[in-house]
Order: sequence, then structure tokens, then C-alpha cells
Amino acid sequence: MAAHDVTPNRSVLLDLKKRIKLSQGGYKILKMKRDGLIIEFFEVLEKARKMREGVSSDYESAMEKITIARAVEGEIAVKSAAYALKADPQVKLGSKSIMGMMVPKVEAERIHTSMLDKGYGVISTSAYIEEAAAAFEKLLDTLVRAAEVETTMKKLLDEIEKTKRRVNALEFKIIPELKESERFVKFRLEEMDRENTTRLKHLKGKGEVEE
Amino acid sequence: MFNRSGRAGNYAYAVSRVKAKKALLLKDEDYNKMLLMSVPEISRYISESGYQKEMTDLAGRLEGMDLVEHATYTNMAKVFSSILQASQGELKGMVQAYLEKWDIWNLKVILRGKSYGLDPEGIREDLVPAGSLDSESLEKLLSLDSVEDIIANYDKMEHITIPQDVISTYKSTGNLGEIEDYLDKAHYVRLVKSINPTSRPTRMFQDYVRTEIDIKNLETILKLKAEGIHGEVVMKYIIPGGRQIDTRYATQLANAETIAAASSDLSRLEFYDSIKGLVESDKVSIREVVTEMKKYEIAAANKFSHMYPLSVVPIIDYMIHKEIEVSNIRTISRGVESGLDADTIKGLLVIRWRSQ
Repeated sequence: MAAHDVTPNRSVLLDLKKRIKLSQGGYKILKMKRDGLIIEFFEVLEKARKMREGVSSDYESAMEKITIARAVEGEIAVKSAAYALKADPQVKLGSKSIMGMMVPKVEAERIHTSMLDKGYGVISTSAYIEEAAAAFEKLLDTLVRAAEVETTMKKLLDEIEKTKRRVNALEFKIIPELKESERFVKFRLEEMDRENTTRLKHLKGKGEVEE
Repeated sequence: MFNRSGRAGNYAYAVSRVKAKKALLLKDEDYNKMLLMSVPEISRYISESGYQKEMTDLAGRLEGMDLVEHATYTNMAKVFSSILQASQGELKGMVQAYLEKWDIWNLKVILRGKSYGLDPEGIREDLVPAGSLDSESLEKLLSLDSVEDIIANYDKMEHITIPQDVISTYKSTGNLGEIEDYLDKAHYVRLVKSINPTSRPTRMFQDYVRTEIDIKNLETILKLKAEGIHGEVVMKYIIPGGRQIDTRYATQLANAETIAAASSDLSRLEFYDSIKGLVESDKVSIREVVTEMKKYEIAAANKFSHMYPLSVVPIIDYMIHKEIEVSNIRTISRGVESGLDADTIKGLLVIRWRSQ
């Protein structure tokens, strides 16, 4: 909105003042929100960093164990054990609020399956395959938790970016423009006041001459 | 099926055949050489060491590690089948009972594949006809659709009866575990029964099998304990007939709440020295304990392999070593292919007590 597009009258000035006050209030709140989100982001970032390390080490360990199981027991035995599996991992999806922003909450409900419920026999299934299965269950559990943290981090980043744009828009565009409009309206009103005063003086002088 | 035969076995003939085959087994230095090779080099090396025909036959549809694994299994299956065919009388009964584990392996592969929904082609590739069930019998099982039909036909072929409550549990849960465990237990019970321990060599063979039962039972106890399962539930999976671990001792071990708590009770076992350091540590690696027990088992087999040249002992000893050879080739090839370091691969091999 260009400053000169407004109609310079008192009600507009009052409206502008109200809008400037509101924008400044919003700016202050959004700035606080942005700072809060940044603090939250750094906390989540630290968690995500640790989680990534966890995923990486769990993945390495799981891959090493499955490689050993495939080497010792053979691909056929490992594949056959996998075919027997009956249990599917279960995750529960929910949401939680961080400074008014909804982020996903992922909970691993049933990742670990007891050896008795896996779908294959206890006696002949080798400890190598069991160890590999346990390592992959651990990896899956870490991945589920990492998915929650990573998604939260991405959502936080988006929200910070959005809030930053809003703060900048308020700080560098909306508030300065509103102030400019206010200054323009004030100036025009003063100008009009002065014109009125001059006109009144002129009329008063004319009247005195006529008397 | 594995009733003791009244006829004496043809030991002289069977043993002379086995001795010729044993001379072809890979030696420890061969494994050391293979550790320095790539998978194609290993393929070529084993082709020159008795696996030529299987490697050539399968090379059209398989390659790399899969070719090595399937070729070695096929070769082992052929060798075992020829030993079984060459055996007669009580010897045949014992060899057949010993090789029943491969029939069970194949049945498990079929059941798992069918319950997963694989087509017969996919399952056929993974079968190892090293037991008494020939390709025709396995084809028949493969052609059946339901688990119940497969089990009923297997029962007829192997003269075994899987109890109705075990099948009912499968029907209600879809879990093949109970059936598999029943078959494994039945195999060992039938194997022990098939051996007539009246002579020294058969007694030694029976002792070997009963030690294997002990090792299996201890592995089961440790695996379940690591899962936090103890007491009565563990006893359900104990195979009867162990040499050192009888029902009372097994109950005692099963009732200990943790592996650490059971470790003092384990000291009675003959192979305790082999696993002592592992079970007493804070974090027990069952995989390492199992490897050590396996090495102990092979050492025990090696001890009696030369004692009675005209008995079942050299034949079983050969079959054990053939299985180890196949396992070692696979371990080295897969390990090399996956980039495992040589020391890790060496730790997984069972060559320490090999005798030639």
C-alpha cells in the first residue's frame, strides 16, 4: 500500500495508528516465536545429530550381523527364516504441539517380537540369525525414533523460515509503510488544519473590512 | 522308519568309498589360500577341487556367491545320497537317521515358502536333497498347496506322526514354530534310537549325537534366557536324550533367571572350559558361545574318527567334515564378497581341529 493512496482523514489516521500498534505487537510476538523456535530447533538438531549417529552405528552393526549370518548359515537359511516371519512391526502415529506448531509423534508399539512368536522354530534357528534379527529390530526402533526427530526438525525449519519471512515483512515493509502512511496522513491533516486556519483568518479579515 | 536293522552293515565297502572321498576334502591350507582370493577366484578354485560339475551345471542360471552356495550344497547332497545308496543293513539305518535333518530342512523350506506365498519355482531353488527324500518326493511336497497336506504327505514318507495339537496350534496362530520344533526334537530322538550301542564304535557315535543334543539344548537355553524366558517354557524346547544335560539338569539351568546365574551350574559340563570365558563375561555373545561349542563338537568327532576304521564312525566323520567344508567355502566366499576382514572370517571358520 503506497503511503499516498490513503485518504487523509482522522478516522484513517486512527485506523492506521491501530494497525501500527497491532503490527508492532504481532512483530514482537513473531520475533519471540522465531527466537523460541530457533532455540527449540537447536535442541532438536542435537537430538537429530545423536540419532543419526545411532542410526549409522545400528545400521553398521545390523549389516555386519546379517553378513555374518549369511556367511555362516547361508543365504538360503536366512531367506527361509525371513519367509517364516509372521509378526509385522507396528507404529503408532500421533501429534504434539511445539509453540503452536503441530509435529508428528511416532511411537514404536511392537518392533521386537519374542523368539517364540517369530514364526520359526526355536531349536534349529541359529544364534547368528537371531542376532541379526535382533540387530535389525534395534535399527528399526532407532529409525522410527529418528523419523520423528527428523520430521520435527524439518517442520521446525519450515516454521522458522515462515516466521522469519513474516517478521521481516512486518519489520521492513508493513510497519514502515504504515508509519509512512501515518506520517503522510498526519502531514496532510496538519496541512488541512493550516489551510483551514488561513481560510478562517482570511474570512475573519474580510468580515472586519465589510463591517 | 529308522528301526535298527537285524542285518549287519556293509562297512568295508562303504568305508572304502568314503575314504576315497575324504582324500578330496579341502585342507586347512586351502582355506588360507581362499581367504586371499576374490569370489570368482574362489569359484574357479573350488571348481578344480571337486565341485566342477555342479559349478558348470548351475553357471547358466546363477552367478557369483549364489552359484558357489548352490553348487556346494548340490555337491554335498549328491555325495550324501551316494553314501546312503552305498550303505546297507544297520549302517543304512544309522546314515538315514543322521541325514534326516536334511529332510527336515527341506520340509521347513517348503512350509515357510508356501506359508509366505512363494511359487514352487522359488522354493525348489533352495532345496538341498541330501537326505533320504529324493527329488521326486520333494517335488510331490512342492506340488501341494496347503501346509496340512504337505505335513500329511511328509508324515507318510518319513513314517512320523506330528501330533494333532501341534497342527492345531499352527492352524490357530499361523506360526510354524511348534511344527518345526517338534520335527527337530523327533529327529534327535529317532537318531538316538536308530543307533544300537552294543559295540564300541556305535556307542561312540551315539555319544557324539547325545553331545550334539547337549549343545543344542544349551544353545536353546541361552537363546531363550537372553530373551528373558526361563522355567517351564524353556523346558518345552529341550530335546530329550542328552549325554550330560538330563531333564533335571536342564530344569536347573532353565530355572536360572539370567545367563550369569546359570554360569556356575554350567561348570559341570565337559565343554565348560571352551565356553567359560564367554559365559562369565558381562555381555554374553550367544553367537560366540555357539561357535566355541561347535568347535568342541568337531574336536570330539575328530577324536574318534581314526579309532574304528571298519565302523559307522569314519562315515559319520566324513559327512561331518563334508558339511564343514561346504560351510567354510560359503563363509569365506560370502565374507570376502561382503568385505569382512580376514580375521573375522577366520574366527567364523571351523578348521581348528581338522584332521586329514
